[in-house]
Amino acid sequence: MYRKKRLVLPFLLPGLIGILMFYVAPFIGGIWYSLTDGSFENAFVGLDNYSKVWQNGMFQLGLKNTMELTFICAPSLFLLSFLLSLLLNRIRPAGGFFRSSVLLPYLMPSSAVLIIWLLWFDYGGPVNHQIFLLGGQRVLWLQGAELRVPVVLLFLWKNLGFCVVIFLAALQAIPVSLYEYAALEGAGFLRQAFSITLPMIVPSAFLVFILSFVNAFRIFKEVYFIGGAYPDEPLYTLQNYMNNMYSKLNYQNVTTAAYIFAGIVFALFGLLFFLQNRAQRGLN
Amino acid sequence: MREMKGFRLRVIQTFLGLLAIILLLPMVQTFLYSFSSMSEMQAFMKTRGSYDETRWMEAHLIPNRVSLLQYHQILIADNTVLRLFLNSAMYAAMILSGQALIIPAMAFGLSKFRFPGRNALFFIIILLMLLPFQVTMVPNVLTLRSAGLLDTVWAVVIPMWFAPFYIFLIRQFMVGLPGELIEAAEMDGAGTFSTFLRVVLPVCRPILGAAAALSFAESWNLVEQPLTYLTTRTDLQPLSTMFNQLATENTGFEFAGATLYILPALFIYLFFQEDILSGIALTELK
Repeated sequence: MYRKKRLVLPFLLPGLIGILMFYVAPFIGGIWYSLTDGSFENAFVGLDNYSKVWQNGMFQLGLKNTMELTFICAPSLFLLSFLLSLLLNRIRPAGGFFRSSVLLPYLMPSSAVLIIWLLWFDYGGPVNHQIFLLGGQRVLWLQGAELRVPVVLLFLWKNLGFCVVIFLAALQAIPVSLYEYAALEGAGFLRQAFSITLPMIVPSAFLVFILSFVNAFRIFKEVYFIGGAYPDEPLYTLQNYMNNMYSKLNYQNVTTAAYIFAGIVFALFGLLFFLQNRAQRGLN
Repeated sequence: MREMKGFRLRVIQTFLGLLAIILLLPMVQTFLYSFSSMSEMQAFMKTRGSYDETRWMEAHLIPNRVSLLQYHQILIADNTVLRLFLNSAMYAAMILSGQALIIPAMAFGLSKFRFPGRNALFFIIILLMLLPFQVTMVPNVLTLRSAGLLDTVWAVVIPMWFAPFYIFLIRQFMVGLPGELIEAAEMDGAGTFSTFLRVVLPVCRPILGAAAALSFAESWNLVEQPLTYLTTRTDLQPLSTMFNQLATENTGFEFAGATLYILPALFIYLFFQEDILSGIALTELK
């Protein structure tokens, strides 16, 4: 650890300037935008934009869908990757093939994969064919609320690997002797899972949880590819609203919606950090 | 945990094996379809969206006759895909070289120096990492426009140089490096800069490889940035935003196009696989 403060500047300065210019300054400067009316005089209107946007039907639809998609995607990503990594951890070292194939989708360009994805979920496509062979009815996957299924699955397909890798590393770092000692002391499977496995992986689990939410909030890419700029109602996200307002040059509405969104995101992560702190203290 | 043997082990293995095959199937299928003739693919793609209850799409994986016509089309006869491909490659190269100069240095500054405001700065970087692109979109457009960069390549490239996620990723790794490493270099009379170059960076090889591969994947898959910053310049759009049209226009060469699009990402993955696995594996939220 270096203590001379001046030495850090050459390392920090280039990045710092860029972050200030392209991330921090826009974030702060945009607040002014959300408080003015966007006319030629650009008059100060206080919180008028906020109440207007908040009552806008499309905004409400976008917010509702973004929240619903996030709370479907993030928890299922977290649970699935946890279960898969538990399985993978139990069969080590035999899981090499799975381990390397589960991460590949994270690097694949979405739009290249999308053609196959849409073929799979076509009305006459393989997914419906399997359902039919198992005795079910065909589903119109590419319309209405059902369209969420391919979108969520594409999201899971893409993000699963990253989370599995983080979980697996944490599970493998737990020394086996801990379990042996606990077994000698008479601790059963559940007691071991909660007294050893869980506390040992809290930092990694929390990272996976945060990343699940970060990526779920950004689900726009998949939505845009599958549904376009104006997707069916069940898929119209907040990002669609902001992008469409942007293309109509209504900057006030974009920034206002952005800050409402950012407020919600920060509040949620604040809560998560708070809960994690308490959980860790409770376990110690 | 006890390792399993026998029947239960085999059940889990089969299950995970099947899952892995499903996960890889989209790429395999794209690759196989790319060797069908264009007319065969056009006919096949036309069967999409039919609501005839009695028919299924013919799910043939192996082409009737192996043909390289799709590749001839995209590589020689028509340069649309190739031009978009080169655009994408240009963005990836420009973004990664800028990041290489800025991000590791910043992560080093944030992890191995003690200065006032360090934790606050890192906290801000985490907050920025959580924000979706659209939140800072409009002010960014205004900044870029007043700098004369809007509707140029730089509008897409420069903001990516400071992507908070990679600063976070590399910083988390560097925090875990033992202090003795730097003390030993100091004893030998190395300055901060040569310590950074000769001691710290080589040790960080896994996370640098992982970050490079992940950042390549992101640059190869840019959507929001070109759509907002390059509204008037379709000639500068990368493959990621334009590729969809190929499929909807039913051109017949979309699968060769998709294969060409997937290949660089696949090579990057195979090349950096161990780095990615070990680099990500060591990341925790501390």
